[in-house]
Amino acid sequence: MFSAPAAKPNHVPDPWVAYASGIGVPWDLARVVHLHRRAGFAATWTEIQRDLRDGPEASVTRVLQGKSRIDGNVKDFETVSAALADSAASTAAPDRLKAWWVFRMLFSPDPLGERLTLLWHNHFATSNLKVNDLSAMRRQNEILRQYARAPFGELLRHVIKDPAMLDWLDAPANRKEHPNENLARESMELFTIGVGNFSETDVKEAARALTGWSFKPDGFHEFLQYHDGGEKSILGRKGRWRGDEFVSMLLEQPATSVRLAKRLCEMFMGEQAATPEHLQDLAKGLREHQLDVGWAVERILRSRAFFADSNLRSQIVAPPEFAIGATRALEQFEPPPSTLLLAEWIARMGQDLFYPPNVFGWPGGRNWLNSRALVARINFAAALVGGTVRYPAAPANVLELVERAVGGAEAGPGIRFLSHLLLGIEPPNSSQKALQSAVGTASALTAGSARQVAIILLSSPQAQIG
Amino acid sequence: MLTRRDFVKQATLISLAPTVPTFLAQTARGASPSKDDRILVVLQLDGGNDGLNTVIPYADANYARLRPKLAVEKKRVRRLDDAMGLNPVMRDAADLFQAGRLAIVQGVGYPNPNKSHDVSKSIWETARFDPTEHTSYGWIGRALDNGPAPKAGGPGSVLVGTESVPVALRGRKSVAAALANLDDMVLANSSKPAALATTDDSLLGFVQRSTLDAVVTADRLQQAAKSRPDASAPPYNELARRLTLIARLIESDFGARVYYAVQTGYDTHVYQRDTHERLLRELSEALRFFLDELKRSKLDDRVVVMTFSEFGRRADENASEGTDHGAAAPLFLAGTKVKAGLHGTPPDLTKLHGGDVSSTIDFRQVYQAVLQNWLRLPAPPALGGRFPPLDLFGLADA
Repeated sequence: MFSAPAAKPNHVPDPWVAYASGIGVPWDLARVVHLHRRAGFAATWTEIQRDLRDGPEASVTRVLQGKSRIDGNVKDFETVSAALADSAASTAAPDRLKAWWVFRMLFSPDPLGERLTLLWHNHFATSNLKVNDLSAMRRQNEILRQYARAPFGELLRHVIKDPAMLDWLDAPANRKEHPNENLARESMELFTIGVGNFSETDVKEAARALTGWSFKPDGFHEFLQYHDGGEKSILGRKGRWRGDEFVSMLLEQPATSVRLAKRLCEMFMGEQAATPEHLQDLAKGLREHQLDVGWAVERILRSRAFFADSNLRSQIVAPPEFAIGATRALEQFEPPPSTLLLAEWIARMGQDLFYPPNVFGWPGGRNWLNSRALVARINFAAALVGGTVRYPAAPANVLELVERAVGGAEAGPGIRFLSHLLLGIEPPNSSQKALQSAVGTASALTAGSARQVAIILLSSPQAQIG
Repeated sequence: MLTRRDFVKQATLISLAPTVPTFLAQTARGASPSKDDRILVVLQLDGGNDGLNTVIPYADANYARLRPKLAVEKKRVRRLDDAMGLNPVMRDAADLFQAGRLAIVQGVGYPNPNKSHDVSKSIWETARFDPTEHTSYGWIGRALDNGPAPKAGGPGSVLVGTESVPVALRGRKSVAAALANLDDMVLANSSKPAALATTDDSLLGFVQRSTLDAVVTADRLQQAAKSRPDASAPPYNELARRLTLIARLIESDFGARVYYAVQTGYDTHVYQRDTHERLLRELSEALRFFLDELKRSKLDDRVVVMTFSEFGRRADENASEGTDHGAAAPLFLAGTKVKAGLHGTPPDLTKLHGGDVSSTIDFRQVYQAVLQNWLRLPAPPALGGRFPPLDLFGLADA
């Protein structure tokens, strides 16, 4: 449950003060849709209606606890998931490992957990292009998921000592007589304190502290014979530092909490929705809570800032959110879409899972929308609704969704419903012409025109924003 | 008079109406051929190319001393003069050099070299040293901001590849497109979105502009694909494939002034020889193939290729038979209009700075020459100042 923040002097407003429904910030469709798009992969109409009834506290609690999904649940989810991952790893087929993760995003009872796993995949961006070992990539992915909400130190220690990362950043090559700076540099620049907070000397000295870190077939191993036991000076502190002590030093640096706060705000807050006060306050709170990510996520998701108008529809949705979100909102569960094809579409939209472009991950935000990615998004809308994302191809029954929700097929209410479901807003003005020509002179939607309406809405500029 | 292709082009753009706003359709009608526009192709060697094993100071005994395992044997080096030579795998590049189609600028870098891939890449891409400027606009994007608008609302620059558009191409007004292959750019007919040309800076305005750009770009590329189906087979590597696509776009008068491709893998910390030589071979073959393709279509006089890498590598090898992040390195400019030969001075291996080759030429001097004397775009706004241009284009500048 949410605990009230510590009392603050009354002249300093708490930037993360809790949200409550009220004038100007009603608990409405836009906010329910917002919650599920920012903290998951969109909701079905049934889930949206339930949350509208139950109010923000219960709705956010369900999201945090991984209990928000009513529809599209898979029996024995974890067993099926493990079987998929096993077979992907044993057949050395990267496409199947990507499909495994897409399966989890689509069907996991805990979509927030998958979103956080994506966040950490980007933060600790490791590419199979170099690692070339699907078992190692899978293990890293499971670590990211298992510790996704843990105190950041636990996550960092597990990831950094896992073979995929050690291999990715050349730890085995880092030995006393010939230090390799890769792991030392990226640990500081990318994983914790960030650029500007360390010097080239710190990199050299930290690399010495990390000498001897490597792995054997069964996991992390520290080869003491390769370790440089001499004195090092890292971030102004002298000692015979070893790798674990170096990691502890990084976790103690205030800059780490700031960087972490930034990462979380990038994920949950839109462009310009988080002020420097939000960042500083969240960083301070993180320091007071052992960098507990779960604490910070709850603080953000319960806040007025998260549900403020300025934070609604203020981000470009990332490829998995776009693809999985549309699939879930349209309830494409039976027969289920091909997760292999979904993963392929997501890659075409610019996010090739397990293959980030470099150590910095995907730049995100407005960078998602280059021409190729937009063409992929637009074509995906047609493929999803047309049913070619499934084997065998089966068009989406959009009309049935309309009739179930609206109680009829009347064109006006039907279009409004689909816009609410897919975009969380009224039908965009810029799409009116296209919508009209899709419906023609008929007063009711048909199976075909309902699909066309869904395609128009999903390929509209408004659909790229969430 | 309208040629058939002009007609097709005009017809498809107009057929997009009402999705493509009137002013664009009008521009399509009025588009004049840009056959004399000069084009720049930028090749980013991603990861930090080992300059010393690319353009090799084979006559300097220090080279072999610094690289007991990685030095290329003197007799295998492809000699350019009595001091410098190319890596033996770069036969095609050596041929280009002999044919007067390759310029090599030695010792290019900047003061106080940064060893972070990201920071150094940002410096090269933005021509700015202040980190707060590293995510906004790039040197090419800014240069295109200050040039004439590309025809028919097309992009000013195109990234060919699967990467995100690099910051180098991002501008305030100019638009960078990205594509990996032509198939990716075919829009399903049922889903052409309503795209509006807006000028507001809101997120929605941005998405609307990007959507419009995607629709127009898709249309233009379908025309490009039809214009030249008979391309000779490229050497089998990804870079050559990307350069071939760039050649098709140029041949189809696509209208972009700058094309950009990335060759990844140069971050060779461990057992570098095989990897590095494979990359250099691919680079050299792809470059030759690309220039020959353009020669066949008589467009080689309009195109210059420039390579860059975020840094060179340390002068001495590390104990894993690799090299760590370094500083200055040579870069290439290729094309019929470059002043071929070796520019600048060979690396001084007796005066290393922190183990690195020091820069003798500021990268912005190269950019200044490329912008001012090749693309004829104002350089100061792109580079944040005026730099003495290197003499890279000889009499063609006049």
